[in-house]
Amino acid sequence: MKQTPEEARIRRNFETGILSKDGFLGSDERHIHDIIQEDLQTLSRLGVYPDEIAQRLKHFIDEGKKGLEGKIDLGAFTVQIRWDRGMIPCPFGEPGLHPKIHARLFHKTKQREIRYTQLGVHLIRKHGFFGGKGSVFRLEPAELVTFLGIDTTK
Amino acid sequence: MESLSPWVIFFAAIFTGNILLTYFLGMCSFLSVSKQIKTALGLGLAVTFVLTITSALNYIVYHQILEPLGIVYLRYIVFIVVIAATVQLLEMFIERYSEPLTINLGIFLPLITVNCAILGVSLFMVIRKYTFIQSVLFGAGSGLGWLLAILAMAGIRERLNEQKIPPALRGPGIALIITGIMAMAFVGFSGIVQIQ
Amino acid sequence: MLNHIIFTVAVLGGINGLLALLLVIAERFFANYGECTITINEKRELRVSGGSSLLVALKTDKIFLPSACGGRGTCAYCKCRITEGGGPVLPTEESLLSEDEIADNVRLACQVKVKSDLAIRLPEELFQIQEFKARVAGLEDLTYDIKLVKLRLVDPTDIQFTPGQYVQLQNKPYAKAKETVSRAYSIASSAIDTKNIDLMIRLVPEGMVTTWVHHHLKQDEEVVFTGPMGDFRLHEGDAEIIMIAGGSGLAPMVSILDELARNKSQRKITFFFGAVSKKDLFYVDEMKQFQEKIPKFTFVPALSQPDPEDNWKGQTGLITIPVENHIKKIDTAKSQAYLCGSPGMINACIKVLSSNGITKERIFYDPFA
Repeated sequence: MKQTPEEARIRRNFETGILSKDGFLGSDERHIHDIIQEDLQTLSRLGVYPDEIAQRLKHFIDEGKKGLEGKIDLGAFTVQIRWDRGMIPCPFGEPGLHPKIHARLFHKTKQREIRYTQLGVHLIRKHGFFGGKGSVFRLEPAELVTFLGIDTTK
Repeated sequence: MESLSPWVIFFAAIFTGNILLTYFLGMCSFLSVSKQIKTALGLGLAVTFVLTITSALNYIVYHQILEPLGIVYLRYIVFIVVIAATVQLLEMFIERYSEPLTINLGIFLPLITVNCAILGVSLFMVIRKYTFIQSVLFGAGSGLGWLLAILAMAGIRERLNEQKIPPALRGPGIALIITGIMAMAFVGFSGIVQIQ
Repeated sequence: MLNHIIFTVAVLGGINGLLALLLVIAERFFANYGECTITINEKRELRVSGGSSLLVALKTDKIFLPSACGGRGTCAYCKCRITEGGGPVLPTEESLLSEDEIADNVRLACQVKVKSDLAIRLPEELFQIQEFKARVAGLEDLTYDIKLVKLRLVDPTDIQFTPGQYVQLQNKPYAKAKETVSRAYSIASSAIDTKNIDLMIRLVPEGMVTTWVHHHLKQDEEVVFTGPMGDFRLHEGDAEIIMIAGGSGLAPMVSILDELARNKSQRKITFFFGAVSKKDLFYVDEMKQFQEKIPKFTFVPALSQPDPEDNWKGQTGLITIPVENHIKKIDTAKSQAYLCGSPGMINACIKVLSSNGITKERIFYDPFA
């Protein structure tokens, strides 16, 4: 798909070493709209909205903040966050800066951990963006839904 | 064609023989830049400027250089070169005097060079054997016609921003449908004056 | 036939050449913005050749506006007021400036091009900032994720700073990070030593500069930084001081403690250092030395989740707990609090401090979160 100059400028923000060390796209060469489209289709097949996922992820960050940098036990999960100084803009280029909060969410039964950031939650909620395939930042929507235990039977 | 008043040609180029809505030339930057009235206006004026200048220059080059030397078949190359140079000049001018416009137009400014409407107008003026004045007014009129079309489109698209359009049609789909409807509306002008 | 081909090629060449010449002349005319005057704070005048961004133009006169993204228009650190000659606000600026800021003529210096005379306003402290070249004199691991970086200044050779200030360190392109960005780090060394500075740098997940420092920076390598900057510093008085820090937030406190030691301060100072477990504690010996040099200084480390192997006998729990216990026992009417660390910790502590009588004007911290 042809990119307008505006889109090309925005895409640059997603690349490695511009806003974050590894960037948001990994090895994915697709147009950002295609990446978002495919993930949204996966989610609509499961009957889940990105907002629900973002809500859950944000909840864990909020709980994690209470422990400053220590681990917080929330029953099925433990969460540990780090909040570093400085702010980061959204790569999509809209106004607003986001705090640098990094969360490690551990599922005790599944013995699996996912890592995500406050900016990542914003990207999911506002843009439906879960990261390019192959990116360290990528959270597979279908796996996230099972990991977080979101109800798909509605 | 010398019998036609240059002003009739000018008028016809805007309405009855609109380079975009009647001849469907210059579609690609039209579809991409018609999302905002401000940028559409900027690009439309840029295209008008290029069309007027290149019509004049290409007329001179064709009749004073290519024809006398018997190498009219070179017109395709030469016209493009002249268009490219004119666009470069325009770019420098816009970059100097309006940076927001440079950023908003981005790649579409140099893309005016390969806008088929520009080359089309130069070739038409040769085919229709226009005089110098007729050519210049033909160029200016075509430019204004293109400007009119892109402005109307931008106005419509800005209005449509808040409307619920079926997902499959959003973007290029609805844009082409709108263009088609506008073209049909312009067919209504055709009775006013007939130029070929 | 051949003659004809040569002839046509010559004509084409001629036409192209003529047009090219025309363009070269036009470029000379259009791209030449001539000399422009930038008037700063209505008193200082700077003459530059037009065409570059305001950020770069100011740099040529050794005026350094803070910038973390190297002029790419993503960090919004380089805000300044342009009262004349700024031109229309660019789309690249609109996304990072609030409506009030735009109404107040605040612009991003890295995006505004100098095309005509400008009048701008800069805070006076900005003029103290310089760009420094330095050499890495030492790299030491303080903990598993905090490194002490010792820099010896090369050019200029001396730096004057107030304890508590920070510098913006630039990285060099490495591996995936092809661009240069800069980040702020507080100076941890004594202000008396004008030829060296120490920085404490903690590795941030996905961090561009911290990854460079931890995995690529080598002994004797040359680095560039600008500074000193910041308003965080010791305030006068003889009221009690509460210091609170976590992680690399220890850095400015070390410099300030050194100042207090040199001044033989008689103020009562309690320094609460919050960490998760023993592996996050460092500079403990240095703190013991300060306890000897400063008569009324006490260092109180608190671990929120000590590991069993730590055999921790000191304070436990979140840092807010020992802080609150302490200030509830003292008269906080004049006390001052100095904070440095993660924004979460700072927010939590401010709540505790203000609900116990330490009002906002007596709470000091670097607000760069």
